[in-house]
Amino acid sequence: MTVVLVILVLALAAAAGALYWRLRRAEAAKAQLQAEHQQTEVELKQLQSSQSQVIHTTKLASLGQMVAGVAHELNTPLGFVKSNVEVIGDLLDDYRKLVKDYDVAVQYCQQPVDLMFGADKESLDKLVKHVEESRRKLFDARRAVEKSPLLKEAKELLADSADGITQLASLVQNLKGFARVDRDGMDLMDVNEGLESALMIAAHQLRDRIKVVRRLDSVPRVRGMPSQLNQVFLNLITNASQAMEDEGTLTVATRANDGNVEISFTDTGCGIPDDVLPKIFDPFFTTKAPGEGTGLGLSIVHKIIKSHGGSIKVRTTPNRGSEFTVMLPVENAARTTLH
Amino acid sequence: MLGQDFDMPLGDPNAGTLRVLFIDDEARILRALKALFRDLEVYTTTEPREAPALAVRHNVDVVVCDQRMPEVLGVDVLREIREKHPRAMRILLTGYSDLKAVLGSVNEGEVYRFVNKPWVNSELRSLVLEAGEISRESPAVATDQLSPNEQNIARSQVGVLVIEDDTTAQQRLREILQPHYQVRFANTAERALQVLEQHETGVVISETATNHGADLTLMLKALKQYHPHIATVVITERANAQTVIELINEGQVYRMLIKPIRMGSCRLSVDSALGRYWKLKQTPKSVRRYGVSPTAQTLQAQSKLPNSLLSRIRSLPARIFGGMRI
Repeated sequence: MTVVLVILVLALAAAAGALYWRLRRAEAAKAQLQAEHQQTEVELKQLQSSQSQVIHTTKLASLGQMVAGVAHELNTPLGFVKSNVEVIGDLLDDYRKLVKDYDVAVQYCQQPVDLMFGADKESLDKLVKHVEESRRKLFDARRAVEKSPLLKEAKELLADSADGITQLASLVQNLKGFARVDRDGMDLMDVNEGLESALMIAAHQLRDRIKVVRRLDSVPRVRGMPSQLNQVFLNLITNASQAMEDEGTLTVATRANDGNVEISFTDTGCGIPDDVLPKIFDPFFTTKAPGEGTGLGLSIVHKIIKSHGGSIKVRTTPNRGSEFTVMLPVENAARTTLH
Repeated sequence: MLGQDFDMPLGDPNAGTLRVLFIDDEARILRALKALFRDLEVYTTTEPREAPALAVRHNVDVVVCDQRMPEVLGVDVLREIREKHPRAMRILLTGYSDLKAVLGSVNEGEVYRFVNKPWVNSELRSLVLEAGEISRESPAVATDQLSPNEQNIARSQVGVLVIEDDTTAQQRLREILQPHYQVRFANTAERALQVLEQHETGVVISETATNHGADLTLMLKALKQYHPHIATVVITERANAQTVIELINEGQVYRMLIKPIRMGSCRLSVDSALGRYWKLKQTPKSVRRYGVSPTAQTLQAQSKLPNSLLSRIRSLPARIFGGMRI
């Protein structure tokens, strides 16, 4: 009996020992897990901050590209308007000189009147000569004023300048429309206007080689953040332009379809290979050389469209081209009446 | 009376008002320029491909060309004009300058000046008038290519100076240049001047800045201002379009190379730079064409150079036949 009891106690002690040992191990494991968890959290934070940095850099890069493009578009009209304004001043000065010459001729004509007083034969002969001379001078000066191209040139330069200023104003208007700094947040938006601004900003990368075809239907407005949707448009236009290495055609089309506004961007570029296609909206996925693309463009596009309750689809044929179609829900008629 | 060749412009090509050709795809720019230069003989075209033939036909003195045009870049137009009508001075007018265009304008177009849109009328006018005067007075160097014999003499008489404090780049340049030229190396502007004072130097190869951040472009510009016959080849890795434009406008840099240094383009550049120096030494009248007259900004920037350095640059010994001050 005691033997049994001793064995039992021993067994119990062994079990307790084993349990204690396992408990210690579990605690150690827990501590390790906790440490690892903390480490992961730190890494996650670092990743998040570097991701937001990359997104920021992407934005800055497209800002730089935008500024470069717009600077070029602005500097051409600025160039001739600025020059014309100065030259017109010079032309008017030259014209004023002609008018002054005319005045001198008129003065000369009036002198015979003085000569007529106390005129003798010799003076009268002189007088006739003077009158003949004055008629010639007056005629010449008058002709110089009439024939002078100065005013016509000035008018042409003024017309060009007025044109240039209109162009500058519409560029600035477009820029404002693109950035929408005046109205941040949700708004009713005409996507065709947004497309025009984005095309203007992309103009410098398109104009030398890519033909742009616009098929813009008059479509209902969509509710959204104009600055974000414009960024989507610019991004898809830029991608299309980069997909076409040499020359090509970019077709931008809008249409209303079943409660949606569809916006499509069709290029005649290189297309997207089958193995790449499933990954194009993944963050950090890029086919560009390191340092040339962040791989965030399309993932940001995707995120913005999703947050607008829309969707995006792609059709592509390698070496023939791609078509990106963005679908955005039309503002609900019942809801608009609430405003 | 002798029969006259129909292709030859009638009369003395150097007589009469200056002949200027403006090329831009924007007609309103051309009308503005035509009005600004209404006292000169002005030709304009919106068709860049027609420009070289127009330049030859009217024997123009100066060509002013836009950089960004559909189908063709200004740099390419100017390169073709340089080949077909070398006596015209070339000016590039541009709304926005990317680095590639600027580099091309130095290395291929050999442009005289780079002007940004919107331009300043008075500055553009004096630039075009100055260029026109130079075009008539100062003949272009037909080719920088020397005969084998001339090349031997030039290489034995004239040194090449490298201003570079990066040891890897120095080593690389030593490998490329040492077998062919009398190369001397300098780490600092100070040391470079010592070399220039002691040895006849035809080509200066230089970084834009030392590793310690000392700006070398000021010295290169001053050097060109007082010694326009020296050909400068700038090698850099941190090329920035604005720096290069200033090096063209104020320093008439001969060639611009981007690091890492490649043997082929480096040899070609140094060879033709040496050729240019040699040709200018023989035709001092041509020197002015490749020189710079200091602008107010240059002079102001130069005041940052130590006085001693500037006066030493000024009084470098004259080694050019027929005097070198212009």
